[in-house]
Order: sequence, then structure tokens, then C-alpha cells
Amino acid sequence: MNRIPIRRLLGLSALLIVVVLPAATAQARIKLITLPVRDRVEVRLDHDNATLVEEQREVPLVQGENQVDFSWANTAIDPNTIVFRVVKADFDVNVLSVSYPPGENSLVWQVSSAKSGSAIVRISYLLGNLSKTFSYRAVAGHDEKVLTLRQYVRVNNSANESFDTANVHVGIGDTFTRPIGLSETKELLIGKFPNVPIVKTYTVNPVEFNYIDRPMNKLRVPMHYVIHNDQRHELGTEALPFGKARIFQEDGRGSSAFLGEDWGDYTAVGDTMKLAIGVARDINVVRTIDKVENKRIAGNLFNYEVTVKYEIENFKDQAVRLDLEEPLVHLRQEIGHHSDRPVQWDVGDQTTFPGGLDKKESRVDKAVFHADLPARAGDKAEKSTHYFQVILRNEW
Amino acid sequence: MASGSSLVARSAILLWTLYSPTSHSEKRSMKTSTENLPFVLAALLVFAGVARAENVDLSTVPKRDTVQLTIYNSEDLTLVRETRSVSFKKGDNPLQFSWVNTRIDPSSVELRFLDHTDDVELLDTTFPHAKPQMLYWNVRSEFVGRATIEISYFTSGITWSADYVMIANPQETKADLTSYVRVFNQSGEDYEDAQVRLVVGVVNLVEKIAELANMPMSQVGQLGAKRRKDYALRAMRESVSNAEGAFSAPMAAAAPSEPKQVIKEGLSEYFIFTIDGTETVPNGWSKRMLSFAAEDVPIKIQYRYRPQEYGDQLVKLYLMANDKESDLGSTPLPDGVYRTFHATEGGSLRYVAAEEKKYVAIGDKCELNLGQDKDVIWELITRRTAREKLVMKMHGADVYRELDGDNLQIDVRSSVAGWQDHVWYGQRVANATGKPIELEVRRAYSGDVTFLSGLNPTRHDNNTVQYTTTVANGQDIELDYEVVTKQGWLSKQNRVEIQAK
Repeated sequence: MNRIPIRRLLGLSALLIVVVLPAATAQARIKLITLPVRDRVEVRLDHDNATLVEEQREVPLVQGENQVDFSWANTAIDPNTIVFRVVKADFDVNVLSVSYPPGENSLVWQVSSAKSGSAIVRISYLLGNLSKTFSYRAVAGHDEKVLTLRQYVRVNNSANESFDTANVHVGIGDTFTRPIGLSETKELLIGKFPNVPIVKTYTVNPVEFNYIDRPMNKLRVPMHYVIHNDQRHELGTEALPFGKARIFQEDGRGSSAFLGEDWGDYTAVGDTMKLAIGVARDINVVRTIDKVENKRIAGNLFNYEVTVKYEIENFKDQAVRLDLEEPLVHLRQEIGHHSDRPVQWDVGDQTTFPGGLDKKESRVDKAVFHADLPARAGDKAEKSTHYFQVILRNEW
Repeated sequence: MASGSSLVARSAILLWTLYSPTSHSEKRSMKTSTENLPFVLAALLVFAGVARAENVDLSTVPKRDTVQLTIYNSEDLTLVRETRSVSFKKGDNPLQFSWVNTRIDPSSVELRFLDHTDDVELLDTTFPHAKPQMLYWNVRSEFVGRATIEISYFTSGITWSADYVMIANPQETKADLTSYVRVFNQSGEDYEDAQVRLVVGVVNLVEKIAELANMPMSQVGQLGAKRRKDYALRAMRESVSNAEGAFSAPMAAAAPSEPKQVIKEGLSEYFIFTIDGTETVPNGWSKRMLSFAAEDVPIKIQYRYRPQEYGDQLVKLYLMANDKESDLGSTPLPDGVYRTFHATEGGSLRYVAAEEKKYVAIGDKCELNLGQDKDVIWELITRRTAREKLVMKMHGADVYRELDGDNLQIDVRSSVAGWQDHVWYGQRVANATGKPIELEVRRAYSGDVTFLSGLNPTRHDNNTVQYTTTVANGQDIELDYEVVTKQGWLSKQNRVEIQAK
């Protein structure tokens, strides 16, 4: 097959050539070559691991057999994924076969045409080195009641191919048409959601969030913004993809301050995104094991009655709710009992949290309670003490 | 068809008829016979060191008239049958067949006469020591004139594979399924205008053809008699060669307007796809051809949790069947990669997944795993656990006592010997896909297990529980069930029992 290597002359990395063959020969030396240009290009970045490029070209065909060469250089087109579709032709057009020359980034379609004329074809393929990431920028009001969430996509084009008029789909938001040049990274705003209500949470968990001062038994208290992806919270039109979220807060003087950043997990419609913003230093939580009592049931079989004490002070000038999570496998280890068996536990009647156990959030290995902490009165913070009594049953 | 001279230039496989200067009279008769032959005189060559020849040989190169490739996909194995027209003189006719730089198994080369079978006879075959990729046939002829011979051999380096492109409609109710076959030629030989047949099936081979191709015939001959016999590829010879009948000549090459038909026929344990007409796949090239295209194949979506098959995740599947109801079922679907796309309302494609799938027989189901759907939240929550029906064993005696919660007796000289682990689970499923989803869950439990649930579960096998449900769009539900496992002294079985709750 004699094909003319002219892709370099055109400066394109992917090239379509239609070779019009004289009748009844596949070995012709004289060839007429047409170079159908791309009429439209769509880039779909909606898949996690793959980028699909679909280009539409108007291909002139002669009656009979046509040879359509598709070649590329320095781009990571996966030749096994190339799909050739005729989307519009006023006559019968059929792909007879595809040939793959050795050692070349190219393929050759043998296309039969019932008449001479143009056919509109779409060629799609997976392209490497064209990727996207998402990010969020949220600006909370001074009172932290609502925030404005902006959603950005960053398209990194290392595919060695420029996309001047491509329609780009990133899976969420509208399609956009912006030129993305060679080796360019383009960041675009794809969504803006004002007045998204903020739910602020303060959580302690000696395993997940550890201690801020271990010798003093003082727990770390991270603060989270919880964003509900539903219409009640001014969202819920589409999923929120995985990405880094940077949170700012208006400072009340026309500017804003950076509060912190976190990775936001993929959040389907109806689900919640929890972003760790920073550590609340004005809430002190001291956790100690107040009492352990072993109760023999029979032979080597014991129940352990354990009381965990929480001394909590809120130095903030506003009331907050604290979520307390107690990991029970860890608690069993703390009292010196190591076992592979899951923890069988019950809440003891010495527990003092007013709302009791949060059954929805609790799991076999995690007990969850809540404590409402009053605001600091003047320069004095009221210390509240709560107990969680747990009976670890049937241990040996 | 290439001319004889171009064949010499491109092809590594050559057949020569040799005219040895054994006697003056024979030379004269040879001259007389060659004058009548339509052969192209290819070369006058010196074959140094060939036992049969003197220093100077005259040879002709009968061109390849037809060639047929039967390519297996389970092994690197292709049966090549080629016909050539050879003129014979009366008496002994030496033929030389050589295959330099190809991947042919020397022990597989066979010569057969397609006509004048009563007049010609193969006396012997010689594999010269000095030239490993060559043999001589000594043919005795009782007539003068042309006969058609068939040369068959196995080669490695020609393979084929199937692949599929599936494009689901925007509603994901139907899909277009296009099946392709792709032939790869790395054999070292150009096979021009070959009839191509592709065999779907698993053939029994005891030696790799590629290894045999690199082995001198003298070493192949040293293989044990039984191994040689086995190596004769019973399966293929009996099932394919004998059944195929006469070698049909390729069809005249007309400019096609439709993709070539791929004719599918069952043969013994195999299926043979014959590509209409002839194909040329030069060495180093590969060629992909349409096998079939089915439009609007009905598909069903199911979400499945089957950790043994799909890993520890909930996956989305397209389910269809290779049957007439699904506009399929005319052929088995050979092993191959399925690339699935989802068409948008605007007619563009969205890439979904690629999956390598095994052979799908006619009538069998074809299930495509599209991977995780992030818009379905899948979380197993262990709510609670309890150890129940504890049994204590007295020290020093084979005495067991079940503990009674209301009547505790403390006995320090006993230890726990058996109990029931009772675990309460909540399987959370939240559906944000925009449409209701059908869910099927299989979980396996080892040990003496009772599964308590109101989910109408069934036992899939001795240790596996299955249940199905539908989750509406926007619904966030928890499917509750309990698992009780007898442990230690109480464990008497290894099976799961189901109890309604």
C-alpha cells in the first residue's frame, strides 16, 4: 500500500486521507488523495479513566471502493478503540474492512460507496494524555450560614493535539467550546451555586482524629462543612465529582480569608460531602477511662463494664453541637483486652448524654453521641461532663 | 494473483521442480518436456551440499494457484493449504519445498495429489541436514503433463481474534452489537488472495508450533513415537481436514459493495467462520473484518453484588442473550473484547467500558460488566453483634453446660466451648441514577449459618444466599438481615439455612 506521509506538512497529529483508487486495482501507483478536514470535534471527559474523542468529517467518496487512511503521530490514540460510523450519506456506504500496517500508527478503511459523493462520518477513539480534574472554591458568608460554591474543571492537554473548536463534555455542567492548545492546561468555571446552606460539625474520635495533646488526654476537634447535594440545599441537579475544595470566608470588610481545604469525595445526588476545614482550638474535650469493672459470668467468660468520661469546655462565643464517636474495638484494647471477635456491647444506664445513643450513625464498632455546648459566658466557659457507660459482653 | 517472479521476490515459501543432470538422455527428455511447460523459469541455482543434486541444477518455480488459511484462535496454529500446478515427466521428479524465515512446523508439511492420483506417487521425502527449512519430495510419475498438487502445513504467527462494539441507545433499552474478526499475520510469509477460515474452539496440541518451527527436522524426529503420534493433531485432522471436503477455488475477485459475508458453520466441537471470497494479509499487517452486525438488541440493566465474580463492589451490567429473541443467535460469540459505548441524545458516543469475555454459545446469556456506578451508593452497615447460647466446658471432663441468662452459675473451672455469633446488618442502597434499578445480591457464608430476613432470600448454593429487590430513583434504603453463625462446639454443619423473619 503506497500512502503518502504528508501529515507532517499539515502539522496535524491525526490525519484522514481518502485515496481514490482507479477501478479494479489495489496496487495503483497513481493516486488521488483528498484530505477531509474535521468539521466538528467532541471531547468527552466524562469517564473516570478514559477520554473519548469523536471527530466528524465530510469524506468525499467515489463510486466503488475507496481507501480511507487514518494516521496519527505522537499522540496516544488507542487503535483498538477506533470506531468509524457513517452518520449521513444519501447513498449506501459500507466499511468493508480495516487494515493495520506494521510499525505504523495508522489504519486503512476499505469503504465501498454506491455513488460518488460526500458522506459524513464520525471517527471516535480513546485518547491518552488528555485528562481532567475537578476543584471547588467555596466562599462562606461572614456568619457561616451559607456559602457560594464554584465548581471548576481543569483540562490538561498533553495529548500533543490542539483542540481549537472542540465541544468538551466533562460529565457535569454544560458542554463548552473553548480552544485548548498544545500542552495547555485550561481551567473553566462549570458551575456556580449561591446560597448553599452550611452545616458545620465538630467531631471527636480518638482513632480517626486522634488527640491534640495526648498526655493531657485532650482530643483533636476537627471542624467540617457538610454540604448536602440536594435541592433543599440549593444543589442536587448533578453529582459533585471528586476534587479538591478550597474554602474561604468573607471577612466582613470586602475581602475573604482562607479557611482550609480538603478532598471532596464523589457525591451523588442526595448524598453529602464532608469537608474538613481545620481544627477547632476553642473546644476542649478531655477523654479519660473513668472506671473498668470485670464481671465473671462463668469460667473464663467475662463482661466488662467500662465508663468513659468526657470533660468538655466551649470557649467560643456561640453555642455548638459536638459529635462524639467512641470506637469500641479501640476501647476494648485500651482496657487490656485483645480479641478478634467483634465487640458485643450495650449502653449502660450510667450514660449521661441527654439524647442517648444516635442509633442511625452508630455501628457495631462505633457508638455516636451528641452534646450541645453553650456559648462562653463572658470570659468563662462552662465545663460540662458526660459519661458513656458501655458493657462489653461475653468476652474471653 | 501475483506473477511467479513477484512471488519469488516477496514469498519465503518456494516450490522448485528440479532437473538434475543425471544422464544425457534424461537431460534431453527434460528439455523436451520443459518446452511444453507454461512455467516461469525462475532461476538456475547452485545447491551446494545437496545429496541428490550435482553441482548444477535447473529448477522451475510453480506458482501458488490458491491458498487457504484455517486459523485457530485457541492456539498459535494455522493450517495452510495451497495448490500449485506442477508438470511431471515420466519417471522420478524431484521437488524441492523451502520455507526460509517462516514459522512452519517442518513435520507437518504434506503433499497430496488432487488429480492423476493413479499416475503419480510420492516415493520419499528427504529433509537435508544442511538446510533445515527445506525438504525434497521424490515423485514418480507414470505420465507426462501437468497435475495439481496440494501442499499443506502448519504455521505459527497467524492468529485471529474477535472483538465487539456495543452501542447502547440513550434510554439503555436496546443496543447495536457489531462483531469483528481481526487476522494478524506475523508468519514471515505474505499470503495473497487467500481464502480465510477462522476456527472457534479449543484444539488439543501437545507441542507448540512456534517451537517446532525452530527445530531442525532431525530433532523433531527424535521425539518419542507416542508424542509424535499425539502431535499429529488428531483433533484438527479428524475434525477439520476430513470434514471440509474438496478445496474450493476462491471466488473471482469482484469489487464488493457490501462487507463480505462471514459464513458460520458448526463442525464437531468447533465453529468455522469462513470469510467470503479471498483476503490478502501481508506479513506484519493485520486486517479487521465485519463478522455480523445486530441492531436494536434488547438489553436489560441489572446491578449485582457477587464478590466472587466481580470483586467487592456493586456493578452495573447489560444483560442480553445470544438468541433469536435478542436478534442474535446465528453464531456463537467467540472470546473477545467487548467495547461498550452509550449513545447520547445528540448521537455522540460516551465510552463506558471494555471487557474481555469468554465464548458465548448460541442460546447462552451474554452479560457485560460495566463496572461500578458511582450514582448508586452501596454500603454494608454492621449494626450490632451478640454472642448467644454460650456453652461452657468443664475442665477435666467431657461435660458441657449451656448458660442460662436468668440462672447464672459461676464456675471458674470451665471455659467457653461454643456459642452463636448473631450479627445485625443493614445493606444501604441509595439510587441517584435517575431511574429505578434492579438489584441482585449474593453473599457467601462459611460455617453453620442461619440467614434471617424478610427480603425473600433464596439459597444460591450450599453457602450462598441470594436476594433481589428494586430500588426506586431517589430512594435511600437499608435492607435489613441477620446472620447467626454457630461457633465452636455448637457448629455441626457447613451450610447456610434461610429463615423468614
